[in-house]
Amino acid sequence: MRIYDFLRNSARNYPDRIAVVCREQRLTYRRLDWLSDLVAEGLIAKGVKKGDRVGLFLDNSCEYISAYFGILKAGAVVVGLNSQYVARELEVLLNDCSPKIIITDSKHSAAAGEALKSCCYPAQLWIMDNALTAEDDVIQRAGLLESDPCADDDLAVIIYTSGTTGKPKGVMLSHSNISANADSIIEYLQLTPQDRIMVILPFYYSYGMSLLTTHIKVGAAMVIDNRFLYPNTVLESMVKEEVTGFAGVPSHYNILIKKSALREFILPKLRYVTQAGGAMAVAMIKEFREILPDVKFYVMYGQTEAAARLSYLDPLYLPEKIGSVGKAIPGVKLDVLDENNLPVDVGEIGEIAARGENIMLGYWKAPEETARVLRDQWLFTGDLARKDEDGFIYIVSRKKEMIKSGANRISPLEIEDVVCQMAEVVECAAVGVPDEILGEMIRLYVVLNGKKITEREIMIHCRNNLAGYKQPKEIRFVDGLPKTSTGKICRLSLSGTNN
Amino acid sequence: MAQIDELNKIGIKEKMKTFIVNNFLLGANADDLSDNDSFLEKGIIDSTGILELVSFAQEEFDIKIEDAELVPDNLDSLNNLEAFITKKKQG
Repeated sequence: MRIYDFLRNSARNYPDRIAVVCREQRLTYRRLDWLSDLVAEGLIAKGVKKGDRVGLFLDNSCEYISAYFGILKAGAVVVGLNSQYVARELEVLLNDCSPKIIITDSKHSAAAGEALKSCCYPAQLWIMDNALTAEDDVIQRAGLLESDPCADDDLAVIIYTSGTTGKPKGVMLSHSNISANADSIIEYLQLTPQDRIMVILPFYYSYGMSLLTTHIKVGAAMVIDNRFLYPNTVLESMVKEEVTGFAGVPSHYNILIKKSALREFILPKLRYVTQAGGAMAVAMIKEFREILPDVKFYVMYGQTEAAARLSYLDPLYLPEKIGSVGKAIPGVKLDVLDENNLPVDVGEIGEIAARGENIMLGYWKAPEETARVLRDQWLFTGDLARKDEDGFIYIVSRKKEMIKSGANRISPLEIEDVVCQMAEVVECAAVGVPDEILGEMIRLYVVLNGKKITEREIMIHCRNNLAGYKQPKEIRFVDGLPKTSTGKICRLSLSGTNN
Repeated sequence: MAQIDELNKIGIKEKMKTFIVNNFLLGANADDLSDNDSFLEKGIIDSTGILELVSFAQEEFDIKIEDAELVPDNLDSLNNLEAFITKKKQG
């Protein structure tokens, strides 16, 4: 099934049902379908053709969703761009995927425009500030739209993930990849048109995008609130909008438990919450369940390369199997394999590998990287795990050397490359160290060439070149960095160091 | 008395502004932050930043900020901070 048909079907079946709430804005399915048609026609009129990439450089909003489906209806490919990126970071992605158009808004247009100045090819900027008046911004309906421009296996979405080399990788997902994963998630979460999800996760990440696709597919509502900086405000919004579901990463739950008035809120409609994006401390899961004992808590595991989801722990088994990421979701085969690609015995450690219709087409313009992870019809996740006697999977080690801070996976190399551009810096190492709220925070060890430079100057350089979540929270000057026998920086020993 | 209150208020705003500029707006001109700018809308502070801001305000002005008080009306601009901290100090 094509992704644009998720919206078309829901608009046909539930035209007057609310699809999106974003502060004061409310879009019905009929309206959202119409707005996305307008965006599609606007794109076609601007010269977009099937398979062209169109960048989306926006925060979560009605505009984002209208544009997302509009791009797909035009037969083009959605490239979700991290809206926190500075121009330098954006330029890297734009040069990689060469979008024909970038849809953005006034808030982000300066960064987008600056990035385009340094790009190797021309792209148009489409500034879309208010979806509710979008008809003023585009050419009127001109019958340009094909009803079904794509096949199931056509590329639909590119999502960039941090690569271990420091260069982001574009994960290519087809219509059928996303459709298969959406069906599976709808099934195990038992989503219905009566559901209303609180969306605080950005749509440009796969976890956030899966909220978008599943809820539109099932005809449910999304309540978008980008104010998690003030968690009580989001909780108030959850009460007011009677949300039935919430999705977050461990740091969101840490903040709700430790830094909000969660205990004082009554959320009678909340049916379930989901947690993915890294391991959440068992103690925190227990505490959350003590606060909201009637709410189902779904622990989930996945990768962008799998269109988001690979496994979930049925809440029924949570008390007994806490710490596990559960079993494969419907339609996915998941196993823990040894170095010969054979399933390991109970209790032994191996690499998690997955098969299913949701597994990506590959990495954009990176066949060697693709071949490294897609082998013998398996996706090799790089995550190490063991299985218990009942087949439940327990992750013991995530992908090496990536920093997991809040909802973000961050390549230390990218930070180090930026800091090493400073003439005074000989070498440096970024590591994730435990943080009560974020899971990990970034600490940077810096070796200088003898010239004086302050912590503040390094911070300023980072601020100008890296998105906020990639900026080190702590800088330590050292005489040298620990190295392995092959001369590589030994980050593992640094992340365990307090001095 | 009214004059003293006014001086205190300016002190609150200036101290909070200095903290924000030094910690979150590194390298930027302090004039870039106006009294009514929303930290949220301008993307100035992240989730941990707001907690650092609260810790600083608690220590600097010897007040206790409850979890339930972590809302935009109290914290999301220099003007809101000033009004909130002034109210807290008045007890």
